[in-house]
Amino acid sequence: MSGDAHRAVDAVWKMESARIVAGLVRMVGDVGLAEELAQDALLAALEQWPEAGVPDNPGAWLMAVAKRRAIDHLRREERLGLRHERLAHDLATGQETAGVPGAARTAEDDIDAALDGEVGDDVLRLMFVSCHPALPAESRVALTLRLLGGLRTEEIARAFLVSEPTVAQRVVRAKRTLAALKIPFEVPEGPDREARLSSVLGVVYLVFNEGYAASAGDDLMRQDLCREALRLGRLLAGLAPGEAEVHGLVALMELQASRSAARTGASGEPVALHEQNRGRWDQLLIRRGFTALLRARQCAAPFGPYVLQAAIAACHARARTAEETDWAQIAALYEALARVLPTPVVQLNRAVALAMARGPEAGLALVDTLVGEPVFKGYHRLPSVRGDLLARLGRHDEARREFERAAALTLNGPERAILTGRAAACADITARETAGAGRGTPRAVVTLAEAADAFLARDDLDAATVRSYRQTMNRLRRDLGDDIPLPDVTAARVAEIFGAAWGDAAPATWNRHRGAVRSFCAWAAAAQESIAGRGPSTGGEGLSAAQEPAAQEPATAAGGPPTVARGSSADAPGVSAADQGSPVGDPVLDQGGGPVGSVGGGSVDGPGGGVPGDLAAGIGRRPEPRGRTRPMDRPQVEALWERPDIAPRERALWLLLHESAAGTGHVLSLNVEDLDLAGRRGKVATGSGWVHWRSGTAELLPYLVAGRRRGPLFLSDRRPGPGRPPAPGDLCPETGRRRLSYERAEYLFKRATGHTLDQLRTR
Amino acid sequence: MRFLMTTMGGDMAPPTEAMHAEMAAFVEEMTRAGVLLATGGLDPAGTHISSSGGEITVTDGPFTEAKEAIVSFALVEARSKEEAVELARGFWKIVGDGEGNIQQVFGPED
Repeated sequence: MSGDAHRAVDAVWKMESARIVAGLVRMVGDVGLAEELAQDALLAALEQWPEAGVPDNPGAWLMAVAKRRAIDHLRREERLGLRHERLAHDLATGQETAGVPGAARTAEDDIDAALDGEVGDDVLRLMFVSCHPALPAESRVALTLRLLGGLRTEEIARAFLVSEPTVAQRVVRAKRTLAALKIPFEVPEGPDREARLSSVLGVVYLVFNEGYAASAGDDLMRQDLCREALRLGRLLAGLAPGEAEVHGLVALMELQASRSAARTGASGEPVALHEQNRGRWDQLLIRRGFTALLRARQCAAPFGPYVLQAAIAACHARARTAEETDWAQIAALYEALARVLPTPVVQLNRAVALAMARGPEAGLALVDTLVGEPVFKGYHRLPSVRGDLLARLGRHDEARREFERAAALTLNGPERAILTGRAAACADITARETAGAGRGTPRAVVTLAEAADAFLARDDLDAATVRSYRQTMNRLRRDLGDDIPLPDVTAARVAEIFGAAWGDAAPATWNRHRGAVRSFCAWAAAAQESIAGRGPSTGGEGLSAAQEPAAQEPATAAGGPPTVARGSSADAPGVSAADQGSPVGDPVLDQGGGPVGSVGGGSVDGPGGGVPGDLAAGIGRRPEPRGRTRPMDRPQVEALWERPDIAPRERALWLLLHESAAGTGHVLSLNVEDLDLAGRRGKVATGSGWVHWRSGTAELLPYLVAGRRRGPLFLSDRRPGPGRPPAPGDLCPETGRRRLSYERAEYLFKRATGHTLDQLRTR
Repeated sequence: MRFLMTTMGGDMAPPTEAMHAEMAAFVEEMTRAGVLLATGGLDPAGTHISSSGGEITVTDGPFTEAKEAIVSFALVEARSKEEAVELARGFWKIVGDGEGNIQQVFGPED
């Protein structure tokens, strides 16, 4: 049987299934039954088309077969009452040839013509039914993609990273609920309509956001969700052209999709809106977005959340450079949005826009009213916005504290680096200001920052130890503040920070940080003794040797690019209509680590002179397992190879790591020219040894090499941006892509399995 | 996936009134569905440009045989090559005889 014909059937099915299923639901009155009958028609096509060829009008063919099945079914059920009479009328001339698929083209045409006028309405009805609020959100999504999008269960499962049975179950349960509640097959009118429509829009936008959150390494099916949502949205807009919010949603999705090529950098990191290369925005989609927005504006309804968000997105799309952005307009739109969608996240975005439009004071006034909103707890965006506004107002010391807080809260490495840099820059300015204003003001006590710097400046520690200790001290400084007097640092606070920062970490990590704190305490006590004669407040060799804590960090970000805070505001499709799950960018998704660990130990203050007591009193040593990391269990590894959602590159890398037991760095350093495919081994570029593999890897490698003759074996998905050329050895001369980085590989594995790559190695 | 569909000139029959109306409806429907991104007819007498060794030569058309010249194009968004083919079928059913090509347009994700 020919695969081409199968793919043709699949394509036709995806284009026609919504009309077919919708028509059948109207005939038989039950979504589940209608879908079964439609599947029968699909099976008939799969049987006949490969031999007889694809019919002239494949959609009508499928529709005709499905309808005959429906009539057969109704006859069998002996429900030939009213419903069948109506049908018989509809089918008038088609009746006598019914039951012989493909035999009567005229009959098909007639059936099609008889029902054509109403099919559009049927599709709209089907949309309202499959997005019915009585169904749980994930069932609405699954059912809609299946019935309206024509996606197979397996495709939906891959897109949403869940198993096939899970999706099948959601669909079955949804159909059962619809039947049990006798949900009518109709387009709701009256007061119900608005809520029902918002449920439909919510489902479409949820699908879009799911696709928008997908990254380059993900299954293509997942990335395709954006396009599927756009298709559903456009379909809906054609069926309900009088609804402003429908056009608003379409416009919002088109405009967001227009930025998809520009919103990630060369190594997959997110790029904030104001830093995006606007030359990579898709002008075709932008134009479509504008057109949809125009249609929305032509509808007389008061503008809802989708139209307003689309209008904001359009303001960004219109600006040829970030500087040209019409912030006054955006601020006004956010104000309107806050009226229909009064959430703190919308308010925060509005504050950012206000600050851009009318100056930082206006923004800060609004931000200050949001401090303490539970939704921002543990979320870095509020302090980072606040820090930015404070810095622009010249309140550098307050700004520094906000940046430090934000840096401690974010889980994103690059973002943290920027925030830490900004904090350092603020500290630098503050230090210069105080030096200029009140030179030589005596300090009563040593601060944590000064003590930590002096501790790390000792020359009896090797570099690795200093680096490790610095991590611990930096974490304490971030959470407690640089300016906290050393005596105010208590064991209880330290224990709290440990619980939050490393409560879930491996015991070895925990113990390493604990060791650093203990060493610091011992050093502080000794230093105190050695300078006791001169008194703590005068300073001296010990505690206050380093007077300019901020100077050691190069203040690169001082005059550099604008903030994370400003830019990250608008690009996430964050704010969204009421009843959907958690949209992308919703702060609740971005929480920090687990709950704060138990607070142990009393507060043991140091003896008067500024030396803390045993700060490690509240942190117990944790037993470390014998092996450093336990490899994954065999069943876990076996299960991994069975998963359908693993991209080929990842599958090959993981298998290779598993079979070779080689280090991840070595494996990633492999080059195509150093492979000995026949000998199942490769020469490591970073060392002198060979990596050996077995049959599983050997089978996959040819696909990965794909005819290349040299360059890195494992390639990143994207070409490097012009600003950051990789080392020549890390660039594939044939595809222009760079070598897959350890960080990215580790991230993908962690996300897929929760383990680290090292745990794949058999020992 | 985006596809560029092109039609060649040659022995295509001149369009009738009915064909015009049918095509207009087809284009409208495809545009509304978001399938048709851009379309247009092309002047067969174009301008030929060639660059060789840093030298750029511009020649006024016609530059090919009439039956090889591209006379119209449509940029469509489809989920698969097969879907694009189905769309093309719809087009050719209206036009009648003639020939053309379908080529995938690579985007950033391909």
